Formats: sequence, structure tokens, C-alpha cells
Amino acid sequence: MWKYIKKYLFFAIVAGLFMTGEVMMDLLQPGFMSRIVDDGVLGVNNGGSADLHLIWMLGLQMIGLVLLGGLCGSLNNVFVHISSQNIGNEIRKDCFRRIMDFSFQQIDRFGTGSLVTRVTNDITQVQNFVSLFIRGLIRTTLLTFGSMYCMFRLNFGFGLIVLCAFPFLVGIIGFCLWRANPLFSRLQAYLDAINEIMQEDVSGIRIMKACVRETYEKMRFGKANDDLVRTQLKTLVIFAFMNPLTNAVMYMAVAAVLLAGSFSAADGSTTPGNVMAALTYTTQLLNGILMLVMLFQNISRGLTSWKRVKEVLESVPELKDGSFDGSAQTQGEIEFRDVSFAYPGSARNVLSHINLKIHRGETVAVIGATGCGKTTLAGLMMRFYDADSGAVLVDGIDVREYRQRALREKIAITMQKSELFGVTVGENIAWGLPGADSMLLASAASIAQADSFISSLGNGYDTMVAERGMSLSGGQKQRISVARAVLKPAEIFIFDDSTSALDLKTEADLYRALKESRPDSTKIIIAQRIASVRTADRIIVLENGGILACGTHEELVETCRAYQDIWHSQMGEEAKGA
Amino acid sequence: MSKEQDSRLAERNIPGMMNRRDRFAEPEHADNIGATVRRIAVYFVKEKKLVAGMLAVVLSGTVCGILAPSLQSGAVDIIAGEKQGILSHTLTLMLSVYLLYSICGLLQGLCSTRLSQNVVKRMREELFGKIVELPVHYLDTHSHGDVMSRMTNDIENISTTVSQSLPSLFSGVLTVIGTMAVMLWYCWQLALLSFVTVLLTFLATKILSGKVRRFSRKRQQLLGQLNGTVEEMVAGYRTVVAYNHQDITAADFGATADSLTKAGIKTDVFSGVMGPVMNCIGNIGFVIIAVFGGYFSMNGLISVGVISAFIVYAKQFSRPINEIAQIYGQLQTAVAGAERVFAMLDEETEDKSGVTLETGEKAAVTFQNVCFSYEAETPVIRNFTLTVPNGRKVALVGATGSGKTTIVNLLMRFYDIESGEIRINGQDIRDVSRESLRRNIAIVLQDTVLFSDTVRNNLKYGNDSAAEEQLVAAVEMSQCRDMIGLLPQGYDTVLTGSGANISQGQRQLLAIARAFVADPKILILDEATSNVDTRTEKAIQDAMHSIMQGRTSIVIAHRLSTIRDSDLIVVMERGEIAESGSHEELLAKKGRYYELYMTQYAGFAT
Repeated sequence: MWKYIKKYLFFAIVAGLFMTGEVMMDLLQPGFMSRIVDDGVLGVNNGGSADLHLIWMLGLQMIGLVLLGGLCGSLNNVFVHISSQNIGNEIRKDCFRRIMDFSFQQIDRFGTGSLVTRVTNDITQVQNFVSLFIRGLIRTTLLTFGSMYCMFRLNFGFGLIVLCAFPFLVGIIGFCLWRANPLFSRLQAYLDAINEIMQEDVSGIRIMKACVRETYEKMRFGKANDDLVRTQLKTLVIFAFMNPLTNAVMYMAVAAVLLAGSFSAADGSTTPGNVMAALTYTTQLLNGILMLVMLFQNISRGLTSWKRVKEVLESVPELKDGSFDGSAQTQGEIEFRDVSFAYPGSARNVLSHINLKIHRGETVAVIGATGCGKTTLAGLMMRFYDADSGAVLVDGIDVREYRQRALREKIAITMQKSELFGVTVGENIAWGLPGADSMLLASAASIAQADSFISSLGNGYDTMVAERGMSLSGGQKQRISVARAVLKPAEIFIFDDSTSALDLKTEADLYRALKESRPDSTKIIIAQRIASVRTADRIIVLENGGILACGTHEELVETCRAYQDIWHSQMGEEAKGA
Repeated sequence: MSKEQDSRLAERNIPGMMNRRDRFAEPEHADNIGATVRRIAVYFVKEKKLVAGMLAVVLSGTVCGILAPSLQSGAVDIIAGEKQGILSHTLTLMLSVYLLYSICGLLQGLCSTRLSQNVVKRMREELFGKIVELPVHYLDTHSHGDVMSRMTNDIENISTTVSQSLPSLFSGVLTVIGTMAVMLWYCWQLALLSFVTVLLTFLATKILSGKVRRFSRKRQQLLGQLNGTVEEMVAGYRTVVAYNHQDITAADFGATADSLTKAGIKTDVFSGVMGPVMNCIGNIGFVIIAVFGGYFSMNGLISVGVISAFIVYAKQFSRPINEIAQIYGQLQTAVAGAERVFAMLDEETEDKSGVTLETGEKAAVTFQNVCFSYEAETPVIRNFTLTVPNGRKVALVGATGSGKTTIVNLLMRFYDIESGEIRINGQDIRDVSRESLRRNIAIVLQDTVLFSDTVRNNLKYGNDSAAEEQLVAAVEMSQCRDMIGLLPQGYDTVLTGSGANISQGQRQLLAIARAFVADPKILILDEATSNVDTRTEKAIQDAMHSIMQGRTSIVIAHRLSTIRDSDLIVVMERGEIAESGSHEELLAKKGRYYELYMTQYAGFAT
């Protein structure tokens, strides 16, 4: 936190100084008033004769003070916001930057939703915390202790009275919070329970109705609602006591000040004006304490948020970057050397002892059931994850020795789930090669068999992709992401199940066009349909994390039992005859 | 995500926390304030005693609040020697009035707490009762987040506003009037001078709020943009990394964040300056009272004590005036929220009437020329005619959007058909009560729904009176005996809401077991497509197979293995039956089914 505050410390200090100024002006006023009453009106030091001139003079000075105070306050406000919002902004940008460097494990561990809340809500809370701290805390502390000091200066007895009231107030507030605190977590639990029932019934409405459980659910909800309301009532009752009790203490202090004032005034050690000033200070002081309590509640919330933000900021990127810049002799070669991998927290190996060499310009297909490790294979090449044992080599160099960026420059991948962003179609494709002109875009799109449908969209390449591609069909999304990959000047292409929504003809056209325009690139096609991979140079059959067989379609149909099974099931009776 | 949202919701709802809205936040507007307010009033009328008690307490509290400073002023006068009297008497009186004031405050707090909680409880129950009675159609067409927020935020808002803002508005208005009257009575000249501050407050609020609104709208918009970016980029993180777009993305984000900060500073500088300005105006009032009060008391118009009383009074009447704008905004928001809640309460519930479905031993389902559309002019089901004979298995296949799931909706009467008829054993299902119809049909859906309750209660969800033996048999048949045996408390294990303690595949097995326990004549299975490990997958298929034995079943198929042996496979296309027949017949035909089979279903799993 300090790191961020340091940068805007100057603004924060200036803000604090202005705050001090504002409080000083507030503290000086009752003194002036007391002089107006004593010297101006009553003429205490002047043998009882009033002094109109003095009243006007003091009044003018007071107005000056008031305006000065207002100015200080306003400037404080300006500086507070400049510092707190800029601090928040720095943290926010750093957080985002940090997330961009996370490994996949880290993203998975935090969860997308949680990361989003941390970057948005939590940082806003931290920002509020900073501004509250500079403005609220300084103000109330200064006002409280300043009033106390002024009371003692006016009259030692007055000061003592307020000092005596102090522990009562703290006691009342402390007691209420102490009683209410355990209720908060219970309240939270009951709220969660009631929300859960709602959530369940709203999303499971069909099952609930199919089982005719309306009445039962109402009873279940009624019970949870009762629990919640009862606890909430208890909490609220505790807080209903807090304000009136503290007020009562304050009024007793006021009465005591008046009583003490009458004795002191009688023996001449104080003046009526001072008594009035003391009354003003008393209210200021006690209000200050109440404000402090409120602030502490907010501060604890800010601290919780800060803790959550800090977790993000302090996460060290898990994948260590190598130093190799990617300028290798060979191009487009991939090798798996005895690679095994299990996802964190899972005992089962997704891939075990994979040995595989893929050459430049080769088209290699990977086929296998869901969950057999196809996507993981691709992820290891991109170094989304690190192998647990063995090594993955790209162009003869271990991927762990690469600078991650250099490695990813070499490979273009399309994901199983087409991820499109809320910009135009053209801009989505241009992710492959930032700054690509429209000619390049169109040629990439036509390789991906996407050119014709994009042109027929409302605004062609300038059509906005709404809500992650909700407006597009599955096949259209896939083709746009393929175009994005094709545009990237990469040595290696990986298509992870990314043409599955296309009909067989379009798919075949796509792969043919790709082969013609990128003959030297290595292509890895992950698929479920044999028709998609039939023409590949080699087909790898993955089963339970291991390579079961490897060969051309013709070879596999002859030799591999599992491949035959797939072939038959996909080709139906016809294949059996063939 | 949902957990986080919940906790944020909760945070907002914890009472006693500072949850005041931004004073310049734009209030929402209700369309029909009068009617809505009257309807809210009905809820409070039912709590007559509490409301009356609270109003009485507020009234007496306000009177005490106005009376006390004048007693204080009397005390000061006695000290200053301007007035004759016994100080201790005046002080005792003052203190008791002040204490009475505190007690009134306490009682008001207690009354409003109880009142708000009573109303919240009733409204919540009514609304929930409504939700479960509503036709499925409502929840299908309304965002669930929106429904949830009516339940939580809107209701909470209504009750806190009515029970807290309203009394403070009431006492505020009384205080302003009372205080002003007393001030005028003491010294009308000084009073009028003090009122200058009110004018200043109004002016300042008006000037500043215009500016703040403009900037805050901009900020809101940027904030939305920023949140959108974070969500999109974190969700699409793989692509960002694969294309080395981290820098560009971060730069984009930085630019949005910077403009948000600028807009934020502007908004907050203008809205935050309100505090010092109000403070300044208050102090000006203080000076006016001190100076003119001094001047008037010199001329003998007032006593010194009156100055002291005026200082208290000025504070007393400026506070409600500062707050009125804010309370007004709160009230508007609450009324708008109430309008949303009432709109939902006014929705029509499912019709419960109808005769009992006569099934006996057999159940045959016939669809005759059924037509249906969710939205006018876009028919989803067209002229659908199909017979499912007793005890037979019919599979529906077809692309997404071809109308498979709609058939389920129609048979369960989640939606009612537009024309044609659906009959079970010859009885038109529209004549049958929904309850009786649904008791005879069990459904297993793709997204498994289990409730956060014990395994036992979940199993008995479709048949409350099921005996223990029935449960055990169902569990055995659906292959989840071993799995339940492994749970810490067996049948009494409470499933957590999101089902974190059992796997997706196990949830599906439990859902099948639940259908077994319900033991219906008719079964609808929406095949699950989620990835489960091979052993569970096998178990699920076996379980599905055994539950369909001897029942009239309709299967919505996503994979081929379960439906190959169906008595009839129906291929649907744009709401119509494209072709139908057995697996072999359809493959031989080389028509739609063959094509679908090649492109959609040809996968390893089969």
C-alpha cells in the first residue's frame, strides 16, 4: 500500500494540512463567540458596559475565519480526491497488469468472477478507504481532541467533566458492537441461506414444479425467513440502543457543564460566555466520537477489501520466464519427450509418458474421446501449463527456456471455445496481427471460409461482436477465430476442435485453403470427427492420456482397433462394407 | 461468482452499517406513485399499533427536542445573572426533558425496527410464494438476477425507507416547523436572519447537484466499460495470452481506468465539496447568531441565554433541511422498487384447477397437430403429431433450436399449446390439473438440479411418502449405492448448494434415482452432455437404461448410444418432424438423420 501512497503522498499531506486548517477554524469560533458575549454584550471585563464596536469587529473576523475554513475544507476535498482516486487507479492498473501475467493455475485458483470483483469493487472500496482516512479520520480525530483541549483551556473543570463522559461513551459503543458482532456472521449465514433457496428454486423451477413441491418450498423458505428476521431484529435492537444512550450521556455532560459553570461563574473563575463556548465544544466533541465509530466500521470494510486486492498484487507469476528469444535454426518442429502432466489438485495424470515428434510443414491430427488429454497437449506446447516430468521442445529448445512471448509468437492457436471480444469482427481477426490492413484481413478470412458470411453482415468487417459473440452462430464464431489464427505469422498452427460446428464440405475447404496458403507451417488439428482428419499426414489416437497409435488414416483403419471402432461408428453401416 | 455477489448483497443489507446512498445519486422514478404508495400503506396499516406508537413517540420526541434548548437557555441566563431562578431546578427539568428525548429516540428505534422487519418478512414470504406459483414462462423470460434483486434489495429498501426515512422525514418536518416557530417567538428579527442559511443551503445544493449529475453519469458509463473489459479479458484470458496481447489489453485498460479516474475526481470534488460548504453555511449561521444576537441582547431585545438557545436551534433546523433532499431521493427509489415488487405480485399464477389424470397401469401419450410459439409469429412447434405407445421409448433428435425441449415444456404444461391437442390415455392434458399431470411424469434434466438438503430429502423430492425400502431399491437401480455409502453421513449428508461435495456425474445419478423414487408412468429424459469420467458415464447410461424399462419414455438425445435401441427416433427440424423410424431404417434412408449423425453425433463417446 505504501508504494502507492508514496507517489501521491504530497497530495495526501497537503490534503491533511487543509483539513487541519478547516478544523482549526471550527475550533476557534466558540472562543470568538464567548468574547462577543462576555466583552461585547455583558462587558464582563469592562465594568458591565456593552461594546457594539467590538461585536462588529469580532463578527467580521469570524466571517473571515468561516470563509477561510470553507476554503480549506474545499481544497482538502480536492486534494483528497486527487490522491485517493489516483492511488486507486494505480492499484487497479497494477492489478490488471498482474493478472495478465498470471499462469492458468492462478487464474483458475482465483476464479474469473472473483478476479473481476477484486479489480472493480474491492479497489473502489480501498479508494474510499483512503479518502475516508484522509478526510474523515483526520477531521474527527482533530475535532475530538481539539475540542477536548479547548475545554481544558476554558476551564479545567469543564475538561474534567467531558473526560469523565468519555469512558461511558466508549463503553456503550464498545458494548453494542461487542454484542452485535457475533450476530453479523450469523446474519450473513442466514442471508446466504435465504439467497440459496431463492437461487435454487428460480433455477430449478422445472424440477420443483415437476415434483409438485410448491407448498414444501414455501415452508422451507418461511423457516429460513423466520431465522433471518429474528436475527436481524436482534441486531437492530442493539443498534437502536446505541444512539439514544450516547445522546443521554452527552446531555448529562451538558447539564454537568452548566452546573459547574454556575459555581465557577459565581466565584468569578469563568464567564457566561465561556460556559456557552463549553456547551458548543461538548456537542462537537461527542458528535466527533460517534462519527469515529461509524468510520471504524467503514475502515474495517476497506481493510478487508485491501486484503483481497493484496492477494492479487502479491501473487508471483508462477511460470518462470526463460531467456531464449526464439531465433532457432529449425522452424516449426515440436517434440514431446516422455511428458507427463496432471492438473493441480488432481491425482490422475491427464497425459502420461508422451513421446512425439512433429516435423516442419507436417499436418498432424489428434483424435480421442473427451477428456483424453487432447487440449492439454496443446496447452503444454503453448506453455499454458508446465509438464510435471519430461520436456516439451519447440524448434529443438525446451519451452521453459523460451521467453513466453517468443514462444507464443511462434504458435497460433484457436481454442475449443471460440473466444471473441466486444470489438468489431475485423478487430477480432486483427488480434492475429495488430495493424493488419483490410486486404490481409480479407485473405485470412477467406482461408477460414469466413469472408462471404462476414461480408453479408450488416456492417461487414465493422460489425460489432456483441456479448462474446452471442449474435453469431457457433460455426461463424469458429471461423472468425480460425481467421484470427491464420492471420498470425506463425510457424505452428493448432486448431483445437475449432471446426466442429462446420459442415463437412466447408471444413474440408478450410483445411485445403490453409494447406495451400501456408505450406511450410506445421499444423496440428485436434478433432472428434474422422472426416476432419482423414487427410492429415499422421493421425495420433490418444486414449487415457497415452498415445495408442499413430499413422495415416489408411494405416490406422487397418491396424488400430480403437480407430476402427470410431470409424465404424461414424461411418455407420456403410463403412463396414467398405 | 455467485457467492461473491451474495456476500456483497449481504453487506449492503447488514443493518446499522453506514448504508446511506450517495446524496446526489440519481433516484429512480416510479411510474405510478400514488397507487404504489397506497399499496405500501396497506402493509403498514396491518401494523396499526406499531405505526401509531411510533408516530406518538416521534411526536413527543420532537416536542422534547424543541423544548430542551429553551430550558438550556434559561440555565445560561441564570448563570449570566440575566434572569432570576434556581439553577438546580431548571437543570433538573432540562436534564429530564433531554432524557425523555433520548427515551423517545430509543422507542422510535425499537418500533421502526420491529415494523420494518414485520413488513419485510411478510413481503418476502408473499413474493416467494408468488415466485413458486408463477408459470415457468415468467422465469424463462425474466433475468434471474433481476428476480433475486427484487427479493433482496427492493424489499429491504422499501422497509428501511418506510420505517426509517419516513419517521425522520416526519420528525424533520415537525422539528423545522417547531423550531422555526419557537425561534420566531423568541425574537423574530434574529430568527429571520438565521433563516438566511436555509436559502444558502438551497442555492448551494441546486448549483452543485446539476454539475455532479453530469459527471456522475459519465463516470457510471466508464465504470460499466471498465467492468466489461475486466470481465471479458479475464474470461478470454487464454486467447489474450496466446496472441501476446497482454500489453495492448493492459494499455487499453489503463486508458479506460485513467478516464474513469478523471471523471471520478470531478464527480467527487463537486459532490464532496458539499460537506465543507454545508459546514461553512452552518458556521455563517453561527456568526449571524453570535453577532446579531449580541447586538440584540445589548439593546435588551433578548437575553444572553437566547443566543445559546438559538445556536442549538439553528443546528436543529438545518440538519433536517440538509437531509430532506436525500430522503426524498430515497423515497423515490423505494417507491420504484415497490412498483417492481408489486408488478411481480400482480402476475397471474398457474391455474390449479382441473380433473385428475386417470392412468391406471398404462400411459400412452399422443400429440395431435400441436402448434406452439414462444413469441408471436415465430412458431417453434408446427403441426407436430406423434404417438408414444404405453411402455415404449421415443427419442427426439435434432439441432439446437429444433424444438426438442419445447415438447417437454408442453407435455409438462410448463407452457400451454396454441392449437392441436396432447392426450394421455385419451384424456386432454388441458382438462387435467397441473398437479395431477405432473405427479405422473418424472423428468431428468440436463442441468441437474439438486437442493441444499439431505440426500434422503432430495431423493424423496418427487414422492414425499416413499418408504425407506423404495429409496434403497431406487438407489440400487440407479447405481448410486456405493457413492452414497462413501458420503460422510450417508443418506443424511447435506448436499451443499452448488453441489461442491459430489461430482457432476454423481449429481446426475442422484437425479435419476430421484425419478426412480417418484416412480411415474411417464418419463422424460434430457440426456446430459457434460463431461464425466468413463466409469460414471457408464453408470449413468446403465441407470438411464434401467429406469426406462416398462415406462413410457421420451428421450431428448445428444448422443447416439442411448437411443439406438429406441422404438422410434424422431428427427426434428425447425419444429417439425423431418423423419422418423428406427436407427437402422433412418441410416439406410441417408436422409436428415444420417447427416445429423455424421456431423453432430459422430464422436468417440458413441
